[in-house]
Amino acid sequence: MRVPVLVLGLGNVLLGDDGLGPISLARIERDYRIPPGVRLVEGGTLGLTLLGELAQAVHVILVDAVATGEPPGTLVRLDGEAVRDAVRERLSVHQVGVADLLDAARLIGCYPESVVLLGLAPGSIRLGFERTQPVEEAIGTLVSAVVREVTSLGYELVAQPRAGAADRPIHALVRHFGL
Amino acid sequence: MTHVVVDPISRIEGHLRIEAEVDGGAVTQAWSSSTMFRGVELILEGRDPRDAWAFTQRICGVCTTVHAIASIRAVEHAIGAKPPPNARILRNLVMSAQNVHDHVIHFYHLQALDWVDVVSALSGDPAKTSRLAQSISDWPLSSAEYFSDVRKRVKAFVERGQLGIFANAYWGHPAYRLPPEANLMALAHYLKALDWQRRFIKIHAILGGKNPHPQSFLVGGMATPVDPDAQAALNIDTITELRKLVADGVDFVSRVYVPDVLAIAPFYKDWFSIGSGVTNYLSYGEFPLDDNADPTLYIPAGVIHGNDIAHIVPVDQTKIDEYVTHSWYEYTVGNDKGLNPYQGQTNPKFTGPKPPFKRLDVQEKYSWLKSPRYEGAPMQVGPLSRMLVAYGLGRPLRAKQLIDGALTQLGAQPSALFSTLGRIAARAIEAQVLVESMGMWVEQLAEQMARRDFRIQDTSRWDPTTWPRECFGAGFHEAPRGALGHWVHIRDGKIAKYQCVVPSTWNAGPRDAQGQPGPYEASLVGTPVARPKQPLEILRTVHSFDPCMACGVHVVDTRKHELARVRVS
Repeated sequence: MRVPVLVLGLGNVLLGDDGLGPISLARIERDYRIPPGVRLVEGGTLGLTLLGELAQAVHVILVDAVATGEPPGTLVRLDGEAVRDAVRERLSVHQVGVADLLDAARLIGCYPESVVLLGLAPGSIRLGFERTQPVEEAIGTLVSAVVREVTSLGYELVAQPRAGAADRPIHALVRHFGL
Repeated sequence: MTHVVVDPISRIEGHLRIEAEVDGGAVTQAWSSSTMFRGVELILEGRDPRDAWAFTQRICGVCTTVHAIASIRAVEHAIGAKPPPNARILRNLVMSAQNVHDHVIHFYHLQALDWVDVVSALSGDPAKTSRLAQSISDWPLSSAEYFSDVRKRVKAFVERGQLGIFANAYWGHPAYRLPPEANLMALAHYLKALDWQRRFIKIHAILGGKNPHPQSFLVGGMATPVDPDAQAALNIDTITELRKLVADGVDFVSRVYVPDVLAIAPFYKDWFSIGSGVTNYLSYGEFPLDDNADPTLYIPAGVIHGNDIAHIVPVDQTKIDEYVTHSWYEYTVGNDKGLNPYQGQTNPKFTGPKPPFKRLDVQEKYSWLKSPRYEGAPMQVGPLSRMLVAYGLGRPLRAKQLIDGALTQLGAQPSALFSTLGRIAARAIEAQVLVESMGMWVEQLAEQMARRDFRIQDTSRWDPTTWPRECFGAGFHEAPRGALGHWVHIRDGKIAKYQCVVPSTWNAGPRDAQGQPGPYEASLVGTPVARPKQPLEILRTVHSFDPCMACGVHVVDTRKHELARVRVS
């Protein structure tokens, strides 16, 4: 069975602002009721291992650090071919990363109906759990943007502070790290 | 003399830079440098050792399970926890699935394109390709229609204007030697492997929870309940599903992956004598078959010196030292001393040039990797090391049989294994040995359920008050890329010190205090380079090790950056 909406948080939580994708998902798990049909996944930096997740989704929202050259914390939204161009023009990280993941889905004929990239421009991606102040302050904006995006696909995320966060996997992870 | 720089070299998880001197059409000297600091050790100090695995599994963006396993084993060793049989069996399944999955992805998606020319494949004749495929394997997906369809699909993809996943390659390079039909067959299997791997890795979801980062590990055992009658546990349905996925894995590896490697190799036989490099091999051994303190391992442990597989010696972790003479670290005991990981230090001190730079000063420190040595000698680690130890010891018998079978089919001597192509062949053979062994572990799990042994964790040492005030532990694992070790020092219930010596550090590390090159560096010497601006041959040898620089950084960059892969001066 296909998953109507997959929200995939990308990046490594050990590396400062790089972890803003998974961190944002953890906030959503904490603060919203997730309706059936919406799946939140911490994709980390797994590349092709995520193909199974991607291939069974109808709509995909990628949440990631996006180096646009703009000030840290700037909200970025890309869709359609712009996603493809953006992930391909990456600096020398992850040669098999998101770009090849998307290409692979296309090649085996299971590219999602839509892929949107939402993110923030990062400040520092050095080793450490703390995110830079501008990024930390903008996480709320990113969370709202993800919620709006999911809503526009017909699935409502209802704000419900501390909604069953304890047994949600990503939130559990983040709590585990003391983030 | 030409100076060639390839940066980054890895198709996954970049941050590996190779500099090579090319003279007379071949590499005369090479240097391997990791350009990113990995310092998870520093993050772990002061934390609860029972949590360490959740951090370490994020060291590497690709293999999540391997650092989790090594970490829980190190902590268990330190505190004296003894995982019950179910945990051993589940871990064997998780580890073997990771190895098999990784080997297939590595071969088809990270390495095959060094040997298979996609552009040439598009001119392959589907009917001839079908005959070729049927001559090497009875895999049913081999009709002319199938290959014709693959050709059409890839053509359409390429004609979208961007090569996408097939970019950054040297199509048409003279070192590509396969006929168009062999290229087309391999390309078809490249696509098939993409599809296969996403199904096969469901094994991890079944055993490790739904998140792609497995969350089922636990110091002392596993977190997944085993009960044939319970819905929320590993049960009879799980066994049925695992049997099916394993059978599917055996089918793909033995009828597609291994035949492909054996079909491609004859066109590149000179690569059986290129890329040998360091002649010492290390395997920690893996897959415990019993629950004794010193269990029998399905893939045996051993050290080989000077390619001598007739005299394999046991591994002794006290003989492992790491050097930082050419690494961007400082030791308080002096930079020419080696330190065993129990005494290991992670004091970063970058003295390299500010990027982007033209050349590293290789007389000084030039890498973020340390130089691990065994009794002072560099060691190759990985599938070839494991298969050589297995071959030399004659166990498991299946490994010896498959290696002998492959050598006979290729008309090669065992010495051909000490090479770039040998590393590739060993990886394929190991995938078959391991995917077959998974059936054994699924049945053991079924037997455990039948005898109603549901124990999954040794909880007797969970409480830190049961631990000695100070204790030390080392945990070893044979990851897809090779020998992985974690060393932990626990004091007052917290991590006092933590050190990881990862496979890519063994293989990709820089020269040591004696000036001895690491395996990447040594293996590149003598590698032919037809076109210095397109150093395909260098990539072949480095990729044969399955390079993975554990970085795990992930930033999408929307500015226009040219991938400055190769620079020649």
